[in-house]
Amino acid sequence: MSHLDAGNGLAPEVVAAVDALRSRYPTEEALLLPALHLAQRANGGWLSREVMAGVADLLELPVSKVAGVVSFYDMFHDQPVGRHRIRLCTNLSCLLRGADQLADQLRRELGVDAGEVTPDGRFSWVPFECLGSCDTAPMAMIDDDYHENLTPDRLRAVVSELD
Amino acid sequence: MAFEPVLTRNLGRPEVRTVRGYRASGGYQALGRALAMQPDELIDLVKKSGLRGRGGAGFPCGLKWSFVPKGGDKPKYIVCNADESEPGTFKDRLLMEHDPHQLIEGCVLAGYAVGANTTYIYIRGEYTAAARILEEAIRDAYGEGVLGASVLGSGFRHDVYVHRGAGAYICGEETGMLESLEGKRGQPRVKPPFPAVIGAFGCPTVINNVETLCCVVHIVERGADWFKSIGTDERNTGPKLYAVSGHVERPGTYELPIGVTFQQLLDACGGMYKGRALKAWIPGGASASMLTAADVDIRLDFDTLAKAGSMLGSAAVIVMDETTCVVRATLRLASFFAHESCGQCTPCREGTEWMRLILERIESGRGSEGDLDLLARVVPNVGGISLCALGDAAQGPVKSLIQKFGDEIRDNIRNRRYPLPRVPFFALGAVA
Amino acid sequence: MPTVTIDGRSVEVAAGTNLVEAALEVGVQIPHYCYHPRLSVVGQCRMCMVEVEGMPKLQAACSTPVTKDGMVVRTSSPQAVEAQRAIMEFLLINHPLDCPICDQAGECGLQDYSFKHGQAFSRFRFEEKRVYPEKERIPLGPNVMLNMNRCIQCTRCVRFTQEISKTGEIGFFNRGAHAEIGTVEGRPLDNPLSTCVVDICPVGALTSTRFRFAERVWYLDKKPSICTGCDVGCNITLEHRRGSIKRYKPRFNPHVNDYWMCDFGRSTHERYRDDPRVTSPAVRRNGQLVPASWKETIDAVFQGIRVKRADGVTAFLGSGFLTTEEAYLVARLARLVESPHRAIWVDSGPARAIPNLRGGIVGRDAAPNRRGVELAGLVPGESGLDAQTLLLEDGAERCAAIFVVDSDFGRAARDPKVVERLRKARFLAVMGWADTPLARAADVVLPAATHAERDGTFVNVQSRLQRFVRACPAPSQARPGLEILAELLSRFEAKWASVSAATVFDLLAEEVDAFSGLRWAQIPAEGQTLPSLSGTEGAA
Repeated sequence: MSHLDAGNGLAPEVVAAVDALRSRYPTEEALLLPALHLAQRANGGWLSREVMAGVADLLELPVSKVAGVVSFYDMFHDQPVGRHRIRLCTNLSCLLRGADQLADQLRRELGVDAGEVTPDGRFSWVPFECLGSCDTAPMAMIDDDYHENLTPDRLRAVVSELD
Repeated sequence: MAFEPVLTRNLGRPEVRTVRGYRASGGYQALGRALAMQPDELIDLVKKSGLRGRGGAGFPCGLKWSFVPKGGDKPKYIVCNADESEPGTFKDRLLMEHDPHQLIEGCVLAGYAVGANTTYIYIRGEYTAAARILEEAIRDAYGEGVLGASVLGSGFRHDVYVHRGAGAYICGEETGMLESLEGKRGQPRVKPPFPAVIGAFGCPTVINNVETLCCVVHIVERGADWFKSIGTDERNTGPKLYAVSGHVERPGTYELPIGVTFQQLLDACGGMYKGRALKAWIPGGASASMLTAADVDIRLDFDTLAKAGSMLGSAAVIVMDETTCVVRATLRLASFFAHESCGQCTPCREGTEWMRLILERIESGRGSEGDLDLLARVVPNVGGISLCALGDAAQGPVKSLIQKFGDEIRDNIRNRRYPLPRVPFFALGAVA
Repeated sequence: MPTVTIDGRSVEVAAGTNLVEAALEVGVQIPHYCYHPRLSVVGQCRMCMVEVEGMPKLQAACSTPVTKDGMVVRTSSPQAVEAQRAIMEFLLINHPLDCPICDQAGECGLQDYSFKHGQAFSRFRFEEKRVYPEKERIPLGPNVMLNMNRCIQCTRCVRFTQEISKTGEIGFFNRGAHAEIGTVEGRPLDNPLSTCVVDICPVGALTSTRFRFAERVWYLDKKPSICTGCDVGCNITLEHRRGSIKRYKPRFNPHVNDYWMCDFGRSTHERYRDDPRVTSPAVRRNGQLVPASWKETIDAVFQGIRVKRADGVTAFLGSGFLTTEEAYLVARLARLVESPHRAIWVDSGPARAIPNLRGGIVGRDAAPNRRGVELAGLVPGESGLDAQTLLLEDGAERCAAIFVVDSDFGRAARDPKVVERLRKARFLAVMGWADTPLARAADVVLPAATHAERDGTFVNVQSRLQRFVRACPAPSQARPGLEILAELLSRFEAKWASVSAATVFDLLAEEVDAFSGLRWAQIPAEGQTLPSLSGTEGAA
């Protein structure tokens, strides 16, 4: 999680990727969400104070604005997360097909509550709102992928296969 | 129910994700035809078709396009609403993952109609696969001259960019989306001014749902009369994607003429899960009022459902059987709205949380006699005076719970216990 | 200009005027929290909902402009009244019952509107109020304290730091019922205007650390006045309890400070409480200053300043804190003893910028009235000694008598070297409110009133004449400088026996070109630019 110093503390590849998007938008500010996605990915899945300050510096925005944006969206994390982030859908359609049982299972078998990171840093999990996969309920988003048609066994298997 | 698929005609044909494959299946012909028309003709065509927005509001698409002022020195924008966060909705994802060029074609058509040279596809951040597929398709489209400085050699420039959201339902609201696109918290704006006049970056903007833009392609290809021939009447036209989930045998996306009855849709899904009895169902996403087994013959279109006190919304149909505690289901939806409230305006910020707290108390067996009355009095104030429609939406489930399932609430309160045993969905050892 | 009818009263307003402002024109106050005339309109508190004929839903008055004729608005229809009641209920369900310990009590937007528009009972019986743990007393910066539990999320403070001070310290965080305002670690609320957010916060979420628990506002006497921190001359409300000043708040003046004032200005009254004060007239006998009567001390000055040419000259030293009227009397006095040695010392201060709609205003003097004092004639005459020579060089050695009319003329009044130099004069009389080392070195001490205890005018950096009157009487034996000088003058000319700031101003208006045509009673409440002098001075 160390970064080469690009003046504002962001990894050079993040700065380069943000620069490549500049021509898409008429304002600097519009780069904020893409920049935060890129910076978060390069920082192990979360946005530390320093990284947020780096993004603020890069886009010439007040830090309070950047922090305000980060705290608004569910996919931006300002606290450390596990190496694998499990987002278990618990909205109505998934709830109707057993999502609460799966939530209990995660709590029990990972040994941490929602929002916490396992001691070995491998997992963190949260209940999430509708992920747009209600016909394959119950389901979860783990890192970038959707895992659908879950059962207690299937979820257990998927989790065990993650490094 | 045999209905010739329109929007989902390319399902099962992964080759259509390339320009070449899409063209081979008949794609981009509509675009070629439209570029030879006058933009105004295109707007009139869409108006004539009776196409209403498929994102939830059901606003007439052609009319929305006609609000964009002509000329002026400000650039115009198309923003495709691919935020799809309404609980129970997954049809746009299907369209984007399986037939990305259909959407791209729709965006360019919209751009041509209103004079916009740029489309931002605002796609919810969680749809990583769809975003990747779209980006690839867009790259291919640039390579084949479908996008860029001269679309299909016409001289009309159009660029399409994918812009990922980051997890907020309120960014599906038009002006919340614009704020998010501009790099801010997705907090809806006061209207007027409306986006058609002052939208993205202070410029005239049209915001259309994915499915709506896909419909435009087929209206141009086959005509307004053809589109109108499908559906209930001239105010409820065209094919519709119904996303069905919950306690049915075969949850999924079903493309049917708009205005099929719930019973017909249920039959298409293979009927109730394990043959159980229907208790309650939601016709159009979390904001739509619940309906019951007494309403199975209702037509699922904009006007019929509105008249019945509910709404078609995003046509996300959620089905609940006899094992469901509707108080718990409503609590889940109330929690959703409380979680997704942006927090700007007083009635929504405080009211959604208050409703959630009352329902939580009732559901956990700590309800008191006056609670039903209290809910009935608080709910009307959450909507109506809120800054955006989320406050109005949050009322839907709670209102219908009180109206249609008052007895169940009273039972919950009186007995001070969870009335229905929690049936574990996954019985020991069984697979769903 | 379109005409709008509000609650049956019609008025013509500029196109684009919002309904809150239009209603004020006909004396109707539509309740609101998030709206502020100088901040962007967000329409989020939903308190200002009104009924507009022809529209099925209520409209937020702050974001509804009057664009054409024929708009009919009802602010107290049953529908609007119910909406106001509902909003008050929503705001109070999570609001802590802090009134007994909250500074805002007595000037609180929730209290006021609760009375007018709210209900007298609570239906929030079994739920627990939302709290922000550990955020009951968070210093946002050196001058502002936050109690997040009291916040109603109106975001006025957020918009202020973004749009007015343009320093961006305060942000809006999280979503929904947990939304909160705050600062980011390492970037506290610390700009020259930071306390303004306390003024605009409708509730007790943001309070001033200076004023915290200082006084209940209903005990405060409130008088309009002018700040003396610099030559911007922000209009203020001076709030005191029996002469003890508790607080300055900015007073609206669109030509000068608009709705704002700086943190430094707010602190300038504290010196009146913290610095020692001269309480009794005194004369030096046998090397000691002893209390004396007013008659004795004024007689002593009268004798002391009429010197023989052979012994030296008489010099007068004023400051930028004198009122224009006082300065005029000093100049008069100097003329009567035929002295061209009329000096004025003004410290230059750090630049203090206040935003307004006319490009802003910048003060650079550390005192409010250099211009007024100079215009009134307190400038060195032909070959007269100036302040530089008197205080920093050897000018005092030529003086048989020096009359310092402000004991606290600047930082130099506490400089022992300066005091030593001035003491070289054979006779040293000092008038003023502050008991400075200079006052203690004098032969005669005349206790004077602070600006809060006298009437007068100041001329600010924009050459704007601003009038103020006393808020409270001077304590013990102190008297307004004007009265002391008039009594001294009456030893020379009988006509000065009975004066007021008004009569002196009218007199000087006849004599001094810059003020010609003006009369005290006709100086407008928001001041008046002296016509012959309006230039670009004072532009930001």
